[in-house]
Amino acid sequence: MIKIVTACALLLSTTLVAQTISDLKGEELFGGMKARHIGPALMSGRVSDIEGHPTDKSTIYIGTAGGGVWKSQDGGVHFKSIFDDYCQSIGTVAIDPNSPDKTIWVGTGEVWTRNSTSVGDGIYKSVDGGTNWKKMGLEKSDRISSIQIHPDNSDIIFVGVQGALWGESKDRGVYKTTDGGLTWEKIFYIDENTGCSDLVMDPTNSDVMYASFWEHRRTAWSFSSGGNSSALYKTINGGKTWNKIHNGFPEGKYGRIAFAIAPSDSKILYSVVEAENASKSGMYRSADAGVTWSHTNSDFALTIRPFYFARIVVHPTKPNTIMKAGLFGSVSKDGGKTFKGLGSMHPDIHDIWYDVNDPDKVFVGTDGGLYRSLNAAQTMERIENLPICQFYHVAIDDQVPYNVYGGLQDNGSWFGPSRSPGGVEARDWKVIGVGDGFRVYPHPTEPHIMYSEMQGAETVWRYDSKARQTKVITPMPGEGDPKLRFNWNAPITTSSNNPDRLYIGSQFVYISNDRGDTWKKISGDLTTNDPAKQNQAESGGLSIDNSGAENHCTIFSIVESTLDEKVIWAGTDDGNVQVTQNGGKTWSNTTSALLSAGLPSNTWCYHIEASVFDKGTAYAVFDGHTKNDPNTYCYKTTDFGKTWKSIVNNESVYGFARSFQEDFENPDLLFLGTEFGLYITIDGGGNWMKFENNMPSTPVHYIDMQARTSDVILGTHGRGIIIIDDVSALRQVTNEVISKDLHFMKVPTFTMNEESTFGGTSTETQFVGDNPRSGARISYYLNKRHTFGKMKMKVFDLDGNFITKLTPSKKKGLNTVYWNYNSMAPKVAAGKTFVQGAFFAPRVPAGSYKIVIEKGKETFETKIKVEYPKNSVFTLKERKYQEEVTKKLFDMNEELAYMVYQLDTWSKHAKNKSKKEPKLSKTATKLVSELTNLKENVAITTGDNYVGRAENQLREDLGAIYGTLGGNYGPPTSSQMANVKLIEGELEEAMNKWKSIESGALKKYKSALTQLEIKEAQIKSFEDYIKKNK
Amino acid sequence: MKKILFSIAMVSISILGMAQDATVETILDNYFENTGGREAWSELKGHKLTASVEMQGMTIPLEIYAMKDGRTITKVSVMGMDLSQDAFDGEVSWGTNFMSMEPELSDEETTENIKRDIGDYPNPFLDYEDKGYSVELMGKESIDGMECYKLKLTKKPILVDGEDVENVSYYFFDTENFVVVQQESEMVTGEMKGEISVTMLSDYQEVDGLMFPFSISQGVKDGESQAIEIIEIELNPEVEDEMFQFPGGE
Repeated sequence: MIKIVTACALLLSTTLVAQTISDLKGEELFGGMKARHIGPALMSGRVSDIEGHPTDKSTIYIGTAGGGVWKSQDGGVHFKSIFDDYCQSIGTVAIDPNSPDKTIWVGTGEVWTRNSTSVGDGIYKSVDGGTNWKKMGLEKSDRISSIQIHPDNSDIIFVGVQGALWGESKDRGVYKTTDGGLTWEKIFYIDENTGCSDLVMDPTNSDVMYASFWEHRRTAWSFSSGGNSSALYKTINGGKTWNKIHNGFPEGKYGRIAFAIAPSDSKILYSVVEAENASKSGMYRSADAGVTWSHTNSDFALTIRPFYFARIVVHPTKPNTIMKAGLFGSVSKDGGKTFKGLGSMHPDIHDIWYDVNDPDKVFVGTDGGLYRSLNAAQTMERIENLPICQFYHVAIDDQVPYNVYGGLQDNGSWFGPSRSPGGVEARDWKVIGVGDGFRVYPHPTEPHIMYSEMQGAETVWRYDSKARQTKVITPMPGEGDPKLRFNWNAPITTSSNNPDRLYIGSQFVYISNDRGDTWKKISGDLTTNDPAKQNQAESGGLSIDNSGAENHCTIFSIVESTLDEKVIWAGTDDGNVQVTQNGGKTWSNTTSALLSAGLPSNTWCYHIEASVFDKGTAYAVFDGHTKNDPNTYCYKTTDFGKTWKSIVNNESVYGFARSFQEDFENPDLLFLGTEFGLYITIDGGGNWMKFENNMPSTPVHYIDMQARTSDVILGTHGRGIIIIDDVSALRQVTNEVISKDLHFMKVPTFTMNEESTFGGTSTETQFVGDNPRSGARISYYLNKRHTFGKMKMKVFDLDGNFITKLTPSKKKGLNTVYWNYNSMAPKVAAGKTFVQGAFFAPRVPAGSYKIVIEKGKETFETKIKVEYPKNSVFTLKERKYQEEVTKKLFDMNEELAYMVYQLDTWSKHAKNKSKKEPKLSKTATKLVSELTNLKENVAITTGDNYVGRAENQLREDLGAIYGTLGGNYGPPTSSQMANVKLIEGELEEAMNKWKSIESGALKKYKSALTQLEIKEAQIKSFEDYIKKNK
Repeated sequence: MKKILFSIAMVSISILGMAQDATVETILDNYFENTGGREAWSELKGHKLTASVEMQGMTIPLEIYAMKDGRTITKVSVMGMDLSQDAFDGEVSWGTNFMSMEPELSDEETTENIKRDIGDYPNPFLDYEDKGYSVELMGKESIDGMECYKLKLTKKPILVDGEDVENVSYYFFDTENFVVVQQESEMVTGEMKGEISVTMLSDYQEVDGLMFPFSISQGVKDGESQAIEIIEIELNPEVEDEMFQFPGGE
């Protein structure tokens, strides 16, 4: 039966209908390609919600703004991401009180509705503590603020849905399930503009719930918090009827209302009200379960930015001790009358969690990550392993290793290396801008010069990292200029045609050819310049919130063609795409062609990519989410925008798109970043495949590609910088390739890495970004996962000499195997210690090598080329000398090993046989004595592998010098060579002793064996003994 | 030849039929059928794997014994020194300390958990109900680009920091041939707690009527892995009691 199955498997693999690249799925193509995360985590990112286990103090969950859900099982020392495959914008996390170890609910969609907030896509449930997740509906909820689980029945759950931020929606209000989430009923609804921003259940009576409703709306150019529909409601019958509880609240409209119950006395309620009359905003307290309220405080800390900080947390046992989220966070110990600040933290505090069993232990979620306190938030320590920062943009340079540059939500501008000895650590990152950071660019040829900016281009810096000097170079309005409108995330870019060139866009395109010292306006207003969208000073609703975040009718994307510096594209946040072919003298507006191609009007142009293959070709990506349009838009033109064609559809790509990258070599290899991850096509947009190998479904705000390494670099808005190393294999995937059983991809010449590995100073609790794997990157496509029969991978030189074995990867799709340029370690003489040096396998010399895969009965081969580093301090002659000495020492190790092997074998033989045959005793005893004597002189035979080790003998000294010289890249020192000579002498002496035993005691022993007709010991030949190619 | 082709057709049909409405039982029936049959697996009393691990140009030879009564030992030979790992004689679990080269006992909880696993051999799915295990079909998932059934296996609880903890692992059965290609379980203790340990199985070959994976790679999800290549498998090997016993003193 087994044979039949195997035959069947083989047969099926050949008879299946041939697959083509247009129907491949991502998991069938990407195989072993894997993203790596370099963080950073030193500034972390926004934590939107914290939820702790009710009885197990070790278990804490956090929800983040764009980085998913993380779980700690050791009280916050380490966190692990547990929600990678799903929407990463989190509104709330809830633990089922009936099954707190297992049942966890996640409501997606952050509820701290800043301009840059990501969207949600429903509610999820895990019944195994977060290992597996299932979506349980509410797909159109957009933002879930609260999940309240019945304390006695896990199937009964109430959910507060804040709902759509960017448009009207009926999918809001309070929802209830009575079957554990299989079906939902909307039990309380106000209107399409008003959502449930908080839903809280009385801990002593599940029929009593409080719901705050918030009327609010964002557009790309405005924010409105408040209206007649905002209110605080209470039900006393499990949600059947709801009544407003405003007795004591101020007159007029309300905005966002934060709410909390004191867990230790559920009659005591707190709410922070955003009121029409600003002097009446602030903290209200009720001591009678909401029958009456009194205004207790309207400090700045309580009233600032209600949309961002509407969270109150009451101490588990002290009903008058409360903390309020805010710019810095505050605490009151007198029931909300007076407040003082929390311990120093990164600003913008969003959630606070008291350990119910030890209330002095407090966790706080901020825009700068998660903090922990052991003294009730008086002093705070930062959790240093949460790489959840939110990049708006990313750029790279061409240094070795290349650096990554980018700006972050509320966390400035940074650059850091793409790899670093020991991993990419916190200390590797350097700050090059404050405030919110956005676009950061290195000067293309002098990367110590960098450009960065803060929000709304309030400041644009040129920074010289050698001199550590900054110069502000923001273009200013001159005579006759209108007010300049810069986007919150204003477009800066450099040029590949002129390294000193810099662009920046307001409503105009500015160019500088002297690194920003002088600016020239090269366009008119390229936007729609709609005055209705330019009233930001009135934005905010009841509380004016004019931070610059709503600046609109601005240019958002600028790109100069690499093929022609006169061709410049500009895309605007109000939906225009304009192009000039004469360096800005005249611009043509291509927007009507886009509308003809199906793009809805005024859809934000997030990115334009000028093709590197043809100057009339460009790609434009549009994001409609600020118009409540979740669709994916990506268009291509080949005629300077006269016509555009869509290259995506909503069936194969999920989420609105923001970023795009064209490959440098294969025009059909394209990358698209959406709100829910990364998509790749290898056929010009016919088939988009989601890349999920260690790539979370996080918003990808910008994509760049390193031409030298073919790495794809992603600036994510929630999981930091993510890199996919060397995607060159994707360029080569064709229908022909995928029809073969195994196809080796072409690879570049590999340069051996000789950098020191010293590094790694991070502590156990700090995040360290992954380095790329080093070594020759051998890549092949398998059209089927290898499951049956042997598969082996070996390296040979071109003369067919075996070099080493590798472990093949066996996935369907692209596989990558790394070879570290080493051959096999020497066979080492048997002894009583490890010979550390002799674990070393010699590096191969530069040259060509054959890679062979044996798969079942078939053999596949490819050749690769390996070179020494070009700028090494060692000459070729020095390297050859090093290789020669290493080879000599390698052989000496094996010579000794073989001698000791024979010695041990004969010694054992003589001991065994003489026990059974007394006539052998004399010759055997003499032989054993001589052999033991020799063995003790050539190898350690006592002690241990640590401080109890015996004095080194020849075996250990030989191994040590071999390892030292083999591990060096340059020539041996004279002192080392003197040592080699000494050891050579010792080996010679030992070998002579062995020879004399062979011709003396051993010969006599062998004659005795012959006489007694006893079989000699079986001794392998030297070749058999050292053979490694098995 | 006709017979073989007919058999292939039958197998294909049964596989295709299976894909429609697979259940735990049909998946396991196919799995056992395709790997040698429940009866043959039940009769297995133990096996010896001769294997090797490649580490940076070093080939480290291993001999792994696993017996039906729970006894195990992995013998490793490095530079003339013999080390034992994962040794268990039915009562005592031990291994060689790499520094002192002396045998040392495993901690109490590890030993207890190994004892609790007695009876698991040769395959957790064999008579799993009698063993007190439960199996649940979680659905389909792609592993290495191949569609697989994901089965959740819950064994008897293990002890973690003095408390019984659910002992869950996930097995991925190739929907085409019904062999296990991957196993995953969440680490439940130590610094790696919460990480998913992944074992990839491939290079299946027949040994005296039973199918065994000859390549086993172990690692952490989304991290690197280390392969053990099996050179030879001996079924029902002759063993001596002393092999498994703790050689140290009191």
